[in-house]
Order: sequence, then structure tokens, then C-alpha cells
Amino acid sequence: MTTIQRIWRIKNILLRLISTRCLECGFIAYPPKASCPKCGSRKVVEEELPKVGEVLTYTVINVPLKGFEEFTPLIIGLIKLGDAKVLAELVDVKPEDVRIGMKVVATLRRSTKTLDGVIPYVLKFKPLTLKLNTTT
Amino acid sequence: MRKVYVVGVGMTKVGKHTEVSMRDLAAEAISNALDEVGNEKPEAIVVGNMLSSLVEQENLAALIADHAGLRGICGLKVEGACGSGGVAVLTGYLMVASGLYSKVLVVGVEKLLERPTPDTLRGLAYAADADYELIYGVSFAGLNALIMRYYMSKYNVKREELALWSVMMHQNGVKNPYAQLRNEITLETVLNSPVVADPIRLYDACPLSDGAAAIYLTNEDWKKLSDTPVLIAGVSNAVDSPDLSSRFSLDELFASRLSAENALRMAKLSVKDVDVAEIHDAYTITAAVSLESIGFAEKGKAAKLWSEGRFKPGDKPTINPSGGLKSRGHPVGATGVYQVAEVVMQLRGDFPGVLVPAEVGLTQNVGGVGSNVTTVLLKR
Ligand SMILES: [Zn+2]
Repeated sequence: MTTIQRIWRIKNILLRLISTRCLECGFIAYPPKASCPKCGSRKVVEEELPKVGEVLTYTVINVPLKGFEEFTPLIIGLIKLGDAKVLAELVDVKPEDVRIGMKVVATLRRSTKTLDGVIPYVLKFKPLTLKLNTTT
Repeated sequence: MRKVYVVGVGMTKVGKHTEVSMRDLAAEAISNALDEVGNEKPEAIVVGNMLSSLVEQENLAALIADHAGLRGICGLKVEGACGSGGVAVLTGYLMVASGLYSKVLVVGVEKLLERPTPDTLRGLAYAADADYELIYGVSFAGLNALIMRYYMSKYNVKREELALWSVMMHQNGVKNPYAQLRNEITLETVLNSPVVADPIRLYDACPLSDGAAAIYLTNEDWKKLSDTPVLIAGVSNAVDSPDLSSRFSLDELFASRLSAENALRMAKLSVKDVDVAEIHDAYTITAAVSLESIGFAEKGKAAKLWSEGRFKPGDKPTINPSGGLKSRGHPVGATGVYQVAEVVMQLRGDFPGVLVPAEVGLTQNVGGVGSNVTTVLLKR
């Protein structure tokens, strides 16, 4: 199980989806890296990722990791956000309705309790409705 | 750099060893390896292990060396998730090749069945990125399932084609006295087994295992310890991101490709020279992307090839005559050492299961979802 210290330390990255973009080769990495994974350059800058993207691949987890029993079946997606990919939980959708290529949008949701008993909030992704689609 | 030979191997049966402690598992593998070299005392021991914290024990080199009557020798533990055994072999190789030591024992050991399964599964997930992946509750099977669905969709590979791998592995493993799952299964066994992390079903996955394996490494001066020394012709490791998000590609094991290319170049061998290989098939999808990253199959084609009957005993290369992780089992930090021990026995002609005529063998051991990969080339 995670700790309040960890959530506190990375809250900005998790909630704003802060990636790093390489100033030498342009490679964009999420999670953010101290140096570029592609060319090794240390000249990387933080860049906030878009909050709307599409599902590249997904899984429905029936055997939960300890601490995530209440979220089972747990739908996890790898979501393409601009030039980056982000792994996160998919919510507000039935497992059988998830599709590769599905448009999704980030939403703030409760996660599992930390070791210290605190309830952290993280970004999860829900299907982008048509109504939302016209306004974004 | 000095040439490095494997002159002795030893292993325990893989499985659930409730009655045997971690130190006794390791001691049994060591004892079997020392029997092969006339009990010649090694100067150093390298232990490969991922999750001994599950049994609340660290300082493994001291614990195991002392228990095995090797108090006083040099000892260290190395870790590379499920690829810990491979990095232990690489470390042992370096210690002999450098000339610092002449006789080095490499031991892989793991005890995954001591604790309740949820504890073990959580521990295995530590191979992933704790900050940015585990925080969402994704299991190790879940991460591999993401790759499996992506691969099936991109290359139009059928569920049934991937499942055939498990059937093939059980056919091999049934003949291996060291294997954990020694039963034949059918395609239906796989397709009707419970869904763990869709599309991964229970029989796409390797079992949880206890086990230990050991290999005895030495140089030109001491290779007479064995009548049939096996040369480590090449060895290489490469790492990739523990997280899937920042991968260059989702359907290629980048680190496996680099590690295989480098090991083959070092051995001055081509992938076409390989007669037998033990690869890291933690899941059916891992078998496919592993075969492709090593160069045994074109991208997206591995499952098609094995569906047509390739890689079985008699084919060149024969893959996983031991039954692989799927049937032999996967005592994670020991697996990379099992693989080398098995291929050494193939090259010597004394593997007690499916035996294939072989001059050149390869092992590929994967940590995480392809984030820490060691490839070893072995030559008779
Ligand atoms: Zn760069």
C-alpha cells in the first residue's frame, strides 16, 4: 500500500499529468524523467499533458492487487494523450463496453486508502460523451 | 577477459516446497552442483533473488553460503526483478572473466508460496513503477494483458493461436522431472480457465513457484573439473523503463532485442546458429514478443509460427524443452539460473526430459514487463 508521503510528493504530476519533453530530440515522457530516455539529454522541460485522449489498450483485472478489492473488476487503460501515453483506471464504463480507440477524459476520483488511512484523489479517465465532445 | 565455462549445475524440483526453507532449497541446488565438480570449494557466491523480503530475510549471500558450508568466501546478492537469475549469471561471469576469481558459484533462489497469494502478487508488482503504475492497482498480469490486447489487435493474432503456446509447453514439461506442472493440457484448458486480467487467463500465465538452481563457473585453468565444460560464449543485459507509459513501442521488448543482439555479437554467432533456447514465457504473450525480440520470428508472426508446429522438439531452434516458465514453473529470481543449467544439460546431452541434439544454446531471462533482460549464449 502507498503512503501519504508518496501521494503528497507526486500530487502535481499525478493530478496535472506533468510529463517531460526533451529540448534536444523532442521525445515526451510520462512519467517524467530526469533525462531523456531517447537521447540521454538532461535538457528536459516539464509539460502538462492534455486531459482528453484515446484508449490504446486496456485490461479488466479480476484478481485485484491487495488494497484494491473494492475497485474490482478494475479496468486499466493505456491512454494516448497528445504525444505521450498514460496508464490509469477507466471509470463510468462497463468492462464489456470499453474499446480500443475510445475517447476518454480525465476526472478526479477517490483512490484506495494509504497506509496512514488517508483517502487520496487521483486522475481516472471516463468516456468522453458527445455533448462534451462539442465543447472541447 | 578470461574465457568462462560452466562445469557444474544443480537444481531442485520447482513447485510448492512447504517443508523446505529458502536456505535449504539453495543448499540442495548447491550440493547438486558441487557433486558435479568433486566438491571443489568455490571462492565466491552470487545469489539471484527478487523477493526474499516475503520471508523476511535479506543478506542472502551470507545466509546461504554459511548454511552450505562456505563460510569465509566472497558473497553478494543481485536483483533484477524476475530477471534476477540472469543478472546473477552475468555477475558471476564478470567475476571469473575479470580474473579476480577462478571458481564462482551462482545460485538463484525464490520462495513465492510461503505467504498468502495476495502478498506475493503485490510483491511481484514491485517490478513495475510504484509511483505511477501501482498507485492505480494494476497487477503484473494486468500490465502484460495491456501488451497482449495491443499485440493481438495490431497484428490480428487470434486468442487461440496464443493459447497453443501453453499446450506446447505442457507437452515438454510433462517429461521434465524438475517441472512444477507435469500434466498435458488442451486448448480448451487454456480457453476455459478463469480470466485473471482480460485477455490473460490463468493458463496463459506461469504458476507461482518455489525453487533454487545453481551453476558453477570457472576459467580455462579449472575447466578440467568437468569432462564436458560448456563455454559461456556471450552474455549481455539491457534495461528499459519499468513503466509501460514511456516505452518507445508497446509490442517490442526493446531491452530483449538489444541484449540478444549484443550477446550474439559477443559470441560471434547468428540467431540461426541456435539449436536450443530457454526463453522467458511468463505469459503466452511474453513468449511471442520474446521470440520476436530475439529474432526467432518476425514481428507479429511468432504465434503463427508455433501454430504451424515450429519450435517443438526436433525443430531448429527447439524452444523451452524444459516446459518453460509455463510448465517448469517460475521461481522468479531462480528462473534465469534454471534456464542456463537446463541449456548446459542440453549441450552435454544429459537433460533428463526432452533432449535435443545441440551445439549452441541461448537463454533469455526477463525482469518486469521486459525492463531488465539478460541473454546468454552457450556453446559445447
Ligand atoms: Zn531526447
